[in-house]
Amino acid sequence: MEKADRIHSGSRQAIMTAIREQLASSEPFNSVHEENRARHEAVGLSGKLPVEQSTSLLERFQQSLNAVGGHCTVVRSEAEATETVRQIVAQSKTRRVAISDSPLVGRVLLPLTADVDLMKGSTKADLFTCDMGVTGAQWAIAETGTLALESDVERHRLASLVPPVHVTIIEAQRIRQTLGEVLLAIDEKGRDLSRTITFITGPSRTSDIELTLAIGVHGPAELHVIVLEETKG
Amino acid sequence: MAQQTSETFEQNARQALTDTQLRGALRNLADTFGDRRRLALKTVDNWEALRERGRAIKAETLAHLDKYLESFANNAESAGAKLHWARDAAEARAIVIGLLREKNAQLVVKSKSMTTEELHLNEALETVGFFPVETDLGEWIIQLAHETPSHIVVPAIHKSKKQIAQLFSAKLGIAPTDDVDVLTGTARSVLRERFAGADVGISGVNFGVAETGTILILENEGNVRLTTSLPRTHIAIMGIEKVIPRLVDLDVFLKLLPRSGTGQQLTAYQSLITGTKRSMDDEGPEELHVVILDNGRSRMLSHPVTRQSLACIRCGACLNACPVYQQIGGHAYGSVYPGPIGAIITPQLNGIEKARQLPFASSLCGACREVCPVKIDIPELLLHLRAEIKEGTASGTAGEHGPVKRKLIERLAFRLYAFAWSSQWRYELGMKLARVAQRALSHQGRIGKMGRLLSVLAPPLAAWTDWRDAPTVANRSFRDEWRQHLSIRK
Repeated sequence: MEKADRIHSGSRQAIMTAIREQLASSEPFNSVHEENRARHEAVGLSGKLPVEQSTSLLERFQQSLNAVGGHCTVVRSEAEATETVRQIVAQSKTRRVAISDSPLVGRVLLPLTADVDLMKGSTKADLFTCDMGVTGAQWAIAETGTLALESDVERHRLASLVPPVHVTIIEAQRIRQTLGEVLLAIDEKGRDLSRTITFITGPSRTSDIELTLAIGVHGPAELHVIVLEETKG
Repeated sequence: MAQQTSETFEQNARQALTDTQLRGALRNLADTFGDRRRLALKTVDNWEALRERGRAIKAETLAHLDKYLESFANNAESAGAKLHWARDAAEARAIVIGLLREKNAQLVVKSKSMTTEELHLNEALETVGFFPVETDLGEWIIQLAHETPSHIVVPAIHKSKKQIAQLFSAKLGIAPTDDVDVLTGTARSVLRERFAGADVGISGVNFGVAETGTILILENEGNVRLTTSLPRTHIAIMGIEKVIPRLVDLDVFLKLLPRSGTGQQLTAYQSLITGTKRSMDDEGPEELHVVILDNGRSRMLSHPVTRQSLACIRCGACLNACPVYQQIGGHAYGSVYPGPIGAIITPQLNGIEKARQLPFASSLCGACREVCPVKIDIPELLLHLRAEIKEGTASGTAGEHGPVKRKLIERLAFRLYAFAWSSQWRYELGMKLARVAQRALSHQGRIGKMGRLLSVLAPPLAAWTDWRDAPTVANRSFRDEWRQHLSIRK
């Protein structure tokens, strides 16, 4: 193993040296190429978007999520959120639900213990037997209908992925307009990024057969987002 | 299917042109992805400015690649990833095999990665007894069919759903169907079992963020998430050129890549992975190994023209837009990377002598340059490589019989041409002779299929006449008309 490490560090050295040498030999050509490029550069501007309509972040998020095949329900209370989950459970004939360790998810799902098996912190094998996963999300992006999940905040990596139906409960104030805003917010944490950050835009999809859209190939086939406009503690 | 190589490009292309099923599929690809892309571009404010930012970030990174790669490596390591460095494909394969043996891997799942195709990783693993399962639907289809990808985004684009149904029914025993949802559902249920039992997952990398040591992978199906979440060990293979400086740069590339590739605003999933899990009860793999691959890439840094090749983010837009790819598809290129981007990186990765025909497989129309999200000047690169090839031939380094012989005939033909065209009376005599000679060949004012006779008389002309009609020489020359006109006016 020690020997192997030495070989690898030799390769690291060799690659870094090659990069430096090749970049140095490029030096004489760089300015000429830059001039040529500037000369050939065609300046073309694509059309501007229509001026942003006065839609709210929430409305825009709903539209974008619908456009990618997700379902959005806006609720005013946790009790309403529970009712929405109950409906999705009934529609999808769900018997087993994997839930994340989010306190909000716990409170919303608690009244459903009589209807379904709630599995928290389930093992890999258990997850494959679940019909639905319920998680929170740390951010939502209005422009694209995207959810952002940060693994250090909540244990939702597998519950949002393995079961065929994924339900997310998110507070309305977590919605941002653009991906850029969310990246900046994540970036503020500096080097302390979550082990995994997952962006989710709609259900799992593929066009690999004749470019025909098929939904739910490996990830969830259904994505439901419940937006809580007023949080009650 | 016989193995096609870049050396046999001309024959491959000829064969592909007669495949009507393939050409239908390619037309569908160009139309569908072309339209989706055009629509998607309208969802950003200023596409051109965005492209320019993408180009500038890549140019800056590549000009200081040593600095950014060091920084990526150090940050990934301090987040808990184990880094491995591979100068070439053989070293990369050895590293992966070593890791699989160390982990005593029983079941290996893989997500789609062009870099692992470049390494011919699956073949290498199979020879030592590991049988990695491709989990991207398209990649799984071609793995079942023992074929290679024909497109870098939709690898099974050359296959019809009928062929796929036949394949599934032969290999998996399902009832024949042409319902895409049934085919997709079959893939889901078969591959779920593999995911559940897998102990190692192998993936590629789309972007490596220098300031955080994060790797980012884009996808639509969810198989990347499964591959990088369920097994205990995750091995990611990353070319040295995948580095970008900052996390916020992703804002630019996550706008450019999905719109250019599949015409989506965003693909369904992006996984940003930074090191290993923080605690034992956390989810995800216990070990993350990142294999950093050179394999001919650092060579491309040596000139600003060739350096652009490393800016590629593998969206496939140049394939979809290319009039050559649209006719012949990916396999004809005989290389892992097809289309315009393949025509420039294959000769640089594999050595120019192994892919001499590829830089010429282009009409230089510039469609690829126009759609490239990071503004790689592919035609400039093609000309650069053509010049290298021609210079090689002139100095005798590439002494193949074909080009040299053709050169002699070409030289004779141009001598003759110069002789006839350099004096007025010889030129006019030539035209008169042509008028007489073409009577037998012309049809409705064009020398069409009969022109093949020409190619029988002078075989080198076949390269031109086999595929084109030539206009006939006019019955009266412009000079004759002019003279007559002048005499009337007098």
